[in-house]
Amino acid sequence: MNAQTFDPFEPYDYRHGSVVAGLRWKNPVGTASGTFKLDACGEYYDVSQLGAISTKGVSPVPWEGNPTPRTAESPSGMVNAVGLQNPGVDHYLLDELPKLKALDALVVTNVAGHSDEDYAQVVAKLAQSEADMLEINVSCPNVTHGGMSVGTDPIALERLVRRLRGMTDKPMIVKLTPNVTDIAETARAAADGGADALSLINTLVGMRLDTRTGRPIIANVTGGVSGPAILPIALACVWKVRRALPDMPIIGIGGISSGRDALEFLYAGANAVEVGAAALVDPQAPVRVAHELEELLDRRPRLADALEKGQAWQQ
Amino acid sequence: MSHIESEFRPIQRTPAPEVGVRHLPGRRTGHVSAQRSLAQGVYMLTIRDAPVARNARPGQFVNLYPNDRTAMLPRPFGIAGVHGDEFDLIYQRVGAGTRAFARLSAGDPIDLVGPLGRPYDLTAAGDYLLIGGGLGVPPLISAAQGLAGRGDVRAIALFGYRDARFADGLVGRFADRTLSVSACEGNVITLLDRIEPELEVEATTILSCGPIPMMRAVAAWAGRRSIRSQFSLEERMGCGYGACLACVVDTTDGRLRVCKDGPVFAGGRLEWETAR
Repeated sequence: MNAQTFDPFEPYDYRHGSVVAGLRWKNPVGTASGTFKLDACGEYYDVSQLGAISTKGVSPVPWEGNPTPRTAESPSGMVNAVGLQNPGVDHYLLDELPKLKALDALVVTNVAGHSDEDYAQVVAKLAQSEADMLEINVSCPNVTHGGMSVGTDPIALERLVRRLRGMTDKPMIVKLTPNVTDIAETARAAADGGADALSLINTLVGMRLDTRTGRPIIANVTGGVSGPAILPIALACVWKVRRALPDMPIIGIGGISSGRDALEFLYAGANAVEVGAAALVDPQAPVRVAHELEELLDRRPRLADALEKGQAWQQ
Repeated sequence: MSHIESEFRPIQRTPAPEVGVRHLPGRRTGHVSAQRSLAQGVYMLTIRDAPVARNARPGQFVNLYPNDRTAMLPRPFGIAGVHGDEFDLIYQRVGAGTRAFARLSAGDPIDLVGPLGRPYDLTAAGDYLLIGGGLGVPPLISAAQGLAGRGDVRAIALFGYRDARFADGLVGRFADRTLSVSACEGNVITLLDRIEPELEVEATTILSCGPIPMMRAVAAWAGRRSIRSQFSLEERMGCGYGACLACVVDTTDGRLRVCKDGPVFAGGRLEWETAR
């Protein structure tokens, strides 16, 4: 079986895994938060085929999200302002998480909040759950409080991460925003607060306007830009954070749509990657990327070996 | 997605008969069989793709992906009919994506995913009123095709157009009757009022698709008479298969996805006050 002929529902033994914050992903490819919903994606591939599933942001109570329209196209990308619509942590624990675990997925639960208290409430409930890893979303550009407003302030970020760190032993990933002057500074703050790993990047703030009306297309006015357009920006961020924090596990995200894109992130210093916007335009993209990367790693034993040992590529 | 690098071709699968989880075919390349102009700026595109043609049910849609790889997002189109291994779409040339589609001709490749979404429920017997407005008529042509040949139903198409009546002939192949109106003459409510005397409330089902103001008026008309109704909605979509939550609508069951939980919703479930 190779990347040309893989069956997305056929059990497959990956040869190249990656250890991220002490947990082994069966391959270095996961879904990026916000682009995976089980009842939709599970119809296109077996979710246990991926290294990890990062869920949509989970908040302490149900969130309605933003009004529509929530999305607009952009050159080689898209702008979205969904606003973290989700049914809340209690529903997640009763419904979604058990289903994901029953399907044998490694689950990264993405945690959303409008305040430190919100994040703490969700983490307190997840601490006792079957979730494998937590990913603290301090980088969503589409909510007015919490999200990016915490993730752009190193002092607030370190304080929040330290508080959450004290609540759980689960591996804790902090997802960083690129909408800062120096992402290495927020990366260090998260590390100082006790993060076990970092995921980067979240979307970049952007917008589109309708030239017939002169008005913004998205009801929220601005949204987050994702897709291949942001790949070089994400690579530069991963590179920069890897230089600043040589031993920190990093999950690279941003415009990945092929195994070769993923490989580029691994050479930039990522230990694993997540596929986001590509999955929205090709439902099987995450599994395809995993299979393509598998073949590329066959020919790169030093890199594959480093990933298995929980290490990143050394330039 | 293959625009940066891909030697990958997804294999085509037929849905597996596994309990609980459907196995759907992923993104693939179909081929244009034919394209013709129905009216000024309105086209019918016929595409060869067996999984869509064989599995689509009336009210479902497909995602088409522009061959220009810098335009990533799918363009969702309601299926207007199936024949053999081919299916028809009707669309209006409005933006860059549809301008590119209008240049396609027989033999050209076009990427697609589908069939997608919840179809119309055609289980009831009796009269079906297929109420369509403008470019909302394609799923109703499919519904007429789905109802054709059934002895227990009668399909009456009521179509409203801005000007050219481009779909009367297409739906007329399947519907028992076709009534239409152009904007200068009136609207679909005019047509509904005209045929109301022949209807039996409890044996009538309304299926509708079109602009929100039209559907809101149809919902109100149906509600006053307690006629059951199903509406197919349109919303700016992201993925079009249920993953991203870009296209949502407020319903009595909360905020649902138009692409996955719809596009067809029972009239009583929709919150028409907030519908745009």
